[in-house]
Amino acid sequence: MKALVLGIGNPILSDDGVGIKVAHEVGKNLNDPRIAVSETSAAGLSLLDSIIGYDRVIIIDAIQTKEGKAGQIYRMKPKDFSFAKRVSSPHQVNLVTALELGKMLNLAMPRRITVFAVEAKDITTFSEKCTPEVEKAIPRVVKMVLEDLVG
Amino acid sequence: MIDPVTRLEGHGKIAIFLKDDGSVANVYFQVPELRGFEKFSEGRGAEDMPQITQRICGVCPEAHHMASTKALDDLFHVEPTSAAKKLRELFYSAFYVTDHTTHFYILAGPDFVMGPDAPPAERNILGVIGKVGLELGGAVIKTRHDNHWVIQTIGGRPIHPCFGLPGGVSKAINEEERAKIEEIAKASVEFGKLSLKVFDDVVLKNKEYLDMVLSDAFTHRTYYMGLVDENNKVNFYDGKVRVVDPEGKEFIKYAPRDYVKHLAEHVEPWTYLKFPYLKKVGWKGFVDGKDSGVYRATPLSRLNAADGMATPLAQAEYERMYSTLGGKPAHFTLATHWARLIELLYAAERMLELVRDPEITSTDIRTIPTAKPDEGVGIVEAPRGTLTHHYITDERGVIKKCNLIVGTTNNYAAFYMSVKKAAEALIKPGKEITEGLLNRIEMAWRPYDLCLACATHSLPGQLPLEVTIYDAEGNEVKRLSQGI
Repeated sequence: MKALVLGIGNPILSDDGVGIKVAHEVGKNLNDPRIAVSETSAAGLSLLDSIIGYDRVIIIDAIQTKEGKAGQIYRMKPKDFSFAKRVSSPHQVNLVTALELGKMLNLAMPRRITVFAVEAKDITTFSEKCTPEVEKAIPRVVKMVLEDLVG
Repeated sequence: MIDPVTRLEGHGKIAIFLKDDGSVANVYFQVPELRGFEKFSEGRGAEDMPQITQRICGVCPEAHHMASTKALDDLFHVEPTSAAKKLRELFYSAFYVTDHTTHFYILAGPDFVMGPDAPPAERNILGVIGKVGLELGGAVIKTRHDNHWVIQTIGGRPIHPCFGLPGGVSKAINEEERAKIEEIAKASVEFGKLSLKVFDDVVLKNKEYLDMVLSDAFTHRTYYMGLVDENNKVNFYDGKVRVVDPEGKEFIKYAPRDYVKHLAEHVEPWTYLKFPYLKKVGWKGFVDGKDSGVYRATPLSRLNAADGMATPLAQAEYERMYSTLGGKPAHFTLATHWARLIELLYAAERMLELVRDPEITSTDIRTIPTAKPDEGVGIVEAPRGTLTHHYITDERGVIKKCNLIVGTTNNYAAFYMSVKKAAEALIKPGKEITEGLLNRIEMAWRPYDLCLACATHSLPGQLPLEVTIYDAEGNEVKRLSQGI
């Protein structure tokens, strides 16, 4: 089984880089040729390009919810984003649309996708550091991802 | 689990205020601010800028990488080798093929293929493919996938390239890679031709759509900007910036270093956005015409600002477009989609020319800089407009000052005017404000494909935008959200 751990975000925009930081840390703890660790700042269709051909994909990204507390971790499935799936985006397609497109075109789509999202506090200030609340969450997310990989 | 959603600061807001009689009184436009890039850059080595600046934008990192690399050539006073320039342009052309493909099929396609009145649930790429067929959908994905391979092969990494260096590039390509790129370029030319045929069949043969393209609601007579080569043909990678007036006459043509002489920025109290304009004409407000310094820098603007395309198939399409639209320059904002497809074909043809150039596999790919760095400007055409990077360093090459004019920024004033004009033309007293009507207003801004806070990609993974309409008392009467 080929698995991919994919950190998504922008490493120079404070908490937006949390997914990439987590992926780096996960990579340091892995030594299995069947598991690839990668990062991307791209969304939508580029995300589709990244996950084609893998059986299992774990995505880590930042999220902002209405009532969320910075550093809070959510473990989700792509369907949890279905509220937005049919809404056309000014730029791209969202994750669920990208996955549906892949299925529609008969591409080799992953059988299982898990998304770990970390509640962000600041995603608009240029900085390579996350805010302390989000920084504190990183080891916990890394542990959850590693546990998920063996699960 | 997740309450739909989200960012208080993270989305663009358009507010349309109505008068007592229900017609449009005014329009406001705000986008989120990304803070502190200049400070973030200060004190860093200039050689890091092509890696850092590409992170600003998740949509066109390749454009920032290229503008930044060219700024470094200028900063270190070094001329890249001929093979290096060709490799950079080959890489950049592949990037254009992917970006323009995405825009047309994901953004513009749903409006035209599904129609502006189609329910939002169908007005997306899935609806488009459902209607035009899986074969075309597969071609879209394959073209993007193959050209991403080209970007990765030349650029050294997928999505975020690392090959640009002052004076050249870090890596040559071998014959095996060249041959594969040639096959991809050939297929991309065919895909470009096919996409123009789709545009013909879906838009041009539909009288209602063509009338909409040509209608006053989607028309502005502005100045146009674009990079041109020595023959005044469109060029994405290099050349001088040419600006033509609303009648199509050359107004200015400048080398990258001179950009500060020609551009200035206007500030409004209701938004932190700065609106660039032509200094020599001056800021006269959000109005079009020859006396207003508002200009546009879009695919259509590039075609308007040039005398033609440098490749044969794209040139033929260029002539056909202007002949259909009644001459040059064309002021019809929705024709930007057509121009984008002509550029897609040009990029593919240019790829093919470059990959067949005997020099493309040369290993003479770098001129080592020897001069002390001081100041450098690099300009490329990003898909969304002319992109300028300007760095000032100390003699060690450490950044003291950095200024960027991002492609999208050039079009802020025109974007605002387009939304306002479409709203004024479409929202009328006594006429119900429907989803389809609001989508037609959206269509006024879609050709610009603004990159707002595209540097952030936190979930749900798309760029939220919200339009709110208020009555004369300030009560909300309708709200349209995308990705929120």
